[in-house]
Amino acid sequence: MGPFDKEDHVTSVAHFAAPSRQQTLGRARDRGLKIVATLPYHYPRALVRAHGFHPMEVWAPPSARPDSGAMHFQAYACSIVTRGAAFLIDGGFDSVDAVLVPHGCDALQGLGSVLRDFVTQRPPVLTLYAPRTRRPVDLDYLVAEYQRLGASLVDAGGTEPDARAWEEAFAVEEAADAALRGLYADRADLALTDREFYAAVRAHEYLLPEDFTELVAGLPPGPAPRPGVPIVLSGIAADPPALLDVVNDAGAHVLADDLSTGTRRMLPETTEADPWQRLAQSYLAGPVDPTRADPVADRVQRLRDLVQQTGARGVLVIAPPFCEPEQFYLPALRKGLDVPLLYLEHESGTDVDGQLVGRIEAFVETLEVTP
Amino acid sequence: MKTPLPMPQIRSAIGYDLVGRNLLRVQRMRDERALANHKPDPDSPMNPAPRSLVNVKELMSAHYLKGRYAPGVHKVAWVTSGAPVEVLQALGYVLIYPENHAALCGARKMGAELCQAAEDEGYSKDLCSYVRTDLGSIATGKTPVGRLPPPDLLLCCTNICQTVKYWYEVLAEHFDVPLVVIDTPFLYEDAHDHQVEYVRRQLEEELVPTAEQVAGRLLTDKALHKTTQQAQTASNLWAEILDRSQTRPAPMTAFDGFLLMGPIVAMRGLPETTAYYEKVLAEMDERIAAGVGAIKDERHRVLWDNLPVWYRISRLSKTLAALGVNVVASNYTYAWAELADMFDPADPMVSAARTYLHPILNRSTSHKLAGMRRMIDDFDLDGVILHSDRSCKPYSLGQIDERDRIVEQAGVPAILLEADHNDARVWADEQSAGRIEAFVEMMEAAS
Ligand code: SF4
Ligand code: SF4
Repeated sequence: MGPFDKEDHVTSVAHFAAPSRQQTLGRARDRGLKIVATLPYHYPRALVRAHGFHPMEVWAPPSARPDSGAMHFQAYACSIVTRGAAFLIDGGFDSVDAVLVPHGCDALQGLGSVLRDFVTQRPPVLTLYAPRTRRPVDLDYLVAEYQRLGASLVDAGGTEPDARAWEEAFAVEEAADAALRGLYADRADLALTDREFYAAVRAHEYLLPEDFTELVAGLPPGPAPRPGVPIVLSGIAADPPALLDVVNDAGAHVLADDLSTGTRRMLPETTEADPWQRLAQSYLAGPVDPTRADPVADRVQRLRDLVQQTGARGVLVIAPPFCEPEQFYLPALRKGLDVPLLYLEHESGTDVDGQLVGRIEAFVETLEVTP
Repeated sequence: MKTPLPMPQIRSAIGYDLVGRNLLRVQRMRDERALANHKPDPDSPMNPAPRSLVNVKELMSAHYLKGRYAPGVHKVAWVTSGAPVEVLQALGYVLIYPENHAALCGARKMGAELCQAAEDEGYSKDLCSYVRTDLGSIATGKTPVGRLPPPDLLLCCTNICQTVKYWYEVLAEHFDVPLVVIDTPFLYEDAHDHQVEYVRRQLEEELVPTAEQVAGRLLTDKALHKTTQQAQTASNLWAEILDRSQTRPAPMTAFDGFLLMGPIVAMRGLPETTAYYEKVLAEMDERIAAGVGAIKDERHRVLWDNLPVWYRISRLSKTLAALGVNVVASNYTYAWAELADMFDPADPMVSAARTYLHPILNRSTSHKLAGMRRMIDDFDLDGVILHSDRSCKPYSLGQIDERDRIVEQAGVPAILLEADHNDARVWADEQSAGRIEAFVEMMEAAS
């Protein structure tokens, strides 16, 4: 049993069976792919695949021992960082050929730097710095930055892609992306609870794209159970997954999301022939995202649009404590939305507790009586 | 016939040029006299403070006073502390540094109150306390500088943290003015060409046109050359001043440095800054020649890592001095010195791109550690205090490993001191005192 074996809490639901993380490691290796453990969360998947790697994302694994993270990070680092570090150090490193830490925030910057500089006995730790703005100058930079990442993957044992490798990589990754979009589009017609729905969505974080596409195709049809009032879920991750059961039990259901583990990662396809340009253009055209430090008004507008399009009665934002990217927008969201907003801070990777349940129940009660 | 001066010009001419500056000059002369006549307290562990501390008060007050009268006379830009300001200086902007303003609020013990005001507006208590202080100041209008002029332009450079991008987005929304972002990829290793090129293009394609448009005038090579030259000269002088503390006893403490650094942060590129630092350097040389150290009994020489604890500077300085500790070096004050050589007035844009990619906060934890190790040798240090700053993650994450390496490899004691740079509510007196005493004991045992 490897360290990835313990991490299937997110996707272990009764309704469908996807290969486990540990099985995925084997399946990827069988195809001649190396494994890159990837921290959250924006990175060009087709690029990684074209260079002979399969990315498996690491989001605050619950099995990680917080003590191991605390040996490197103060208590004011978020749990994605401390648990991610602990998971890798306590065995995760041994299962993978490289680690990729995208620079999503100041905390991930610290993680990338500490892993590279102070943790020995590890595979190569690669980094990626995507721009914080979306201007023409950012596109040119991002193309060059992706090329640098490609070169690092080759240095880490990957292969220089030829035209065929690119084509194959785009084919499988774009098919998986299309499957993800389809999953959202067909949400009402799938017999999945919210927890099951997000289990399927999050399987994309580790499955081979081919397996993810297959998983989505096999999901059970039927009307989605939609108890109580509709809400929009925003923030980093619906973690722990049982939180979604709490939402349902309290009398609400999730009609749309703006999660880092959800629609924020759904990038548009572009028709550009050059693979580097294609990836960079797609990234820069992606949805408004607090981890990209997008303008305040755009962030408010995105949530307003989601609320309006779905008729949601409230917005639930969930993030680990000390998550600046989420925290900064809160006052503007509170002022700019016409529906109630609840901001929940919860350590990713830890269980639902009474306080969390109480706050969700109180919030849903408010929504029930709000006209 | 002469055209009459418009009102803002008249107000500025009277309020700033005629009255304000002269009042500040008189105040400075009074303070100098008081310092000269001050009878040394035989019980104080400190020697008389450098005169330059009095002068910096005048310089910084004049800077904020000029800002106060700037609307309608000069364009005002609010900028981050690591922003490439030479372009703006060359276009005649008055620059306001919200971080410097927040530090001033912190030093005047207004930080906690203003942080609370921002929290009352819905901002999390976990956000950088500079941000909270300034947003609290905007919400309440409270500031120790009378009034902050609203910006015509915002310039945000991410070379210190990503936090500033969020902060300036909030400011852009609030003031509804253009925001120029200079995004500087974090350097986990040496800078790559595409990173330098990215910053250069942002300077030329984003900053210059927007700044020119807002200023209503064009940037000239001559003016840019001049401000770059001034920035470089002042940064070099600042480096020399800090290096004077390699002498035993050190003529100043890093706590003095935190106050003396105001102009290099907020007025880089101006001739008065250069002139000021020439005087500071001369004073340090005088003190060295006369054998005047910052503290009376310098038994232990220490490095301070990270931002200061603004609301405790004076008390901390005295507490440490009483224990025979002089904090003679700080990598925070050095941040505005170590890049001096990278400026090249002959090639201002490319050199600015290189310079502004390389601040300590935009570089890896191993670079920071190497800098501290170098300082331990250069300043002949006996220990390191790493201020674990709760609300500044980019400076603080990595300190646990840095401390461990310092102890193992440099063989000197090092401690993490938990605090926050501007939010006094985080400070725990007893706990901090205990940590400091234990640290001094460790240094004593090692000596
Ligand atoms: S949870 Fe927030 S602070 Fe933590 S890694 Fe993600 S974006 Fe950064
Ligand atoms: S987070 Fe740190 S570096 Fe960024 S503005 Fe605050 S104090 Fe400065």
